[in-house]
Amino acid sequence: MPSFSPYDWNESIQQRNEYIEDRLREGSPVIAVAYEDGILMLTLRHNQRKLYEIYDKLMFGAIGNHSDIEQIRIGAIDVAHAEGFSRSADDVSLQRLASFRLSPAIKKIYSDPFAQPVVLKGIFAELGKTADKDILLVLSYDGEFTITPGYAVIGGSFGSEDKMSDHLKSATADGAPSLGTAVNLALKAWAIGKQHAESLNRPNDDEDDTPPTPEEFLAETLKTGLVIEATVLERNVTRESRYRVLRADEVKEFTTV
Amino acid sequence: MTLSNASEHASSSGSLLELLRGGPDSGRLPFPTPVSGPSGRDIDTHSTTVIAVKYKDGVINVADRRATAGYAVMYDQAEKVLPLDDHTLISISGSFAKSVEVVRYLRHTFKYFERSQLQPMSQEGKLMELQRVIVNNVPAALQGIGAFIPVLSTFDREQDQGRIYFYDALGGQFETAEYGAAGSGSGPIRGAFEYILRTKGPFRDMDRATALKETLTLLEIAADLDTATGGSAKHLPAAKYITADGITDFTEQEIKTGLGRA
Repeated sequence: MPSFSPYDWNESIQQRNEYIEDRLREGSPVIAVAYEDGILMLTLRHNQRKLYEIYDKLMFGAIGNHSDIEQIRIGAIDVAHAEGFSRSADDVSLQRLASFRLSPAIKKIYSDPFAQPVVLKGIFAELGKTADKDILLVLSYDGEFTITPGYAVIGGSFGSEDKMSDHLKSATADGAPSLGTAVNLALKAWAIGKQHAESLNRPNDDEDDTPPTPEEFLAETLKTGLVIEATVLERNVTRESRYRVLRADEVKEFTTV
Repeated sequence: MTLSNASEHASSSGSLLELLRGGPDSGRLPFPTPVSGPSGRDIDTHSTTVIAVKYKDGVINVADRRATAGYAVMYDQAEKVLPLDDHTLISISGSFAKSVEVVRYLRHTFKYFERSQLQPMSQEGKLMELQRVIVNNVPAALQGIGAFIPVLSTFDREQDQGRIYFYDALGGQFETAEYGAAGSGSGPIRGAFEYILRTKGPFRDMDRATALKETLTLLEIAADLDTATGGSAKHLPAAKYITADGITDFTEQEIKTGLGRA
């Protein structure tokens, strides 16, 4: 049997990170924002849906390989429904789902140098009984996850995620926005993140050009055929399933960016 | 990667049952199998009257609120009209425990299918699921355990009209043009439905208030004629309606008006 030293392990992890980051780079950012009466998730996409319902008060959006996203999505749905049926909907929690099921499974694959890694970054959103119980959780390809209050972002690079976070941090500093405001904040964040990612990919552009503003960039992007996909978890409705896909006309009505 | 052992097959078919069972199988519910013992009893439904009638904009469901065990009244606030999804109501008669479990199972089945398959289960598919549950319950029901017979009402958005289905004890499904009823009180009032149809015209042409009034009157007659059906003196009957917009509870005031007590 060939020997496998700590150095090999180190190198394999590094290569694996490069491989994954490389594949995530082109991803269309996904943004989640807690608004007055719920949680909004938003992205721009071509034809394939990117934002999904997991359970009554759980939704999920991700970037990465579609087959990997599907596996995580289905896995989460299975775990949630088996638990929700055999115990109660109240026992289905994001904290349990992430810490005990998703994270360990992904971590295991990530740490196995002979396994195909999961190419995925995802946001899970859980609607709480009250706004302070809302949870936004970012799950990464290495199994690690972070919980953030107020908003969460995923994008093709750490730099673009930082830029989006900066924008949302200052914009939500005064408390949760209305749904309309949240849609516009998320759209602008998307443009900032995507623009940053694209500038990294094309470093040789003529530096004299003033880059377009995020608003201009967004308008240009929408002309190329990308469509806005926005979903919400609504707090003040009587439906058991709080998830709803915002209709195109609703999004259009909100959009001022 | 498998997050749950059972997930691989279940997620490709969207079947909650397979998820719970850990693989494809005959489709029996994860309920206790019936004990063997003396059989030969008839499947008899007891202790209730549930009624569904069509009206101009959809379907109305009403039910008494009595739950009995033998000759004892166990509970007088039972809820027997239950939503299966945003446009479907199931009104239950027979074993309350079994009915509630079936409703819970069906609700999860529909939701699991829609979420995993990214498309809602078809109306036909939902009806099939309900039929299968009733059929699977026949052996237990024949032994006198947990027989239940539902009436299912739904708003068919493709045809833009309400639809009502009733069932026999063996899972036979019948669609009805005007009304459906189940439970021990439904037999004695059957003629009254026909009388209303012949003298006042079809339910499906009535407005909501008129149809509710007729339906509550029928329920009151059932309560008078059947010991296992509760009257409205202590607690108002349960009443809901389905339209294209979804399921709505009748207000207390509307029910009182329908009973002539406003």
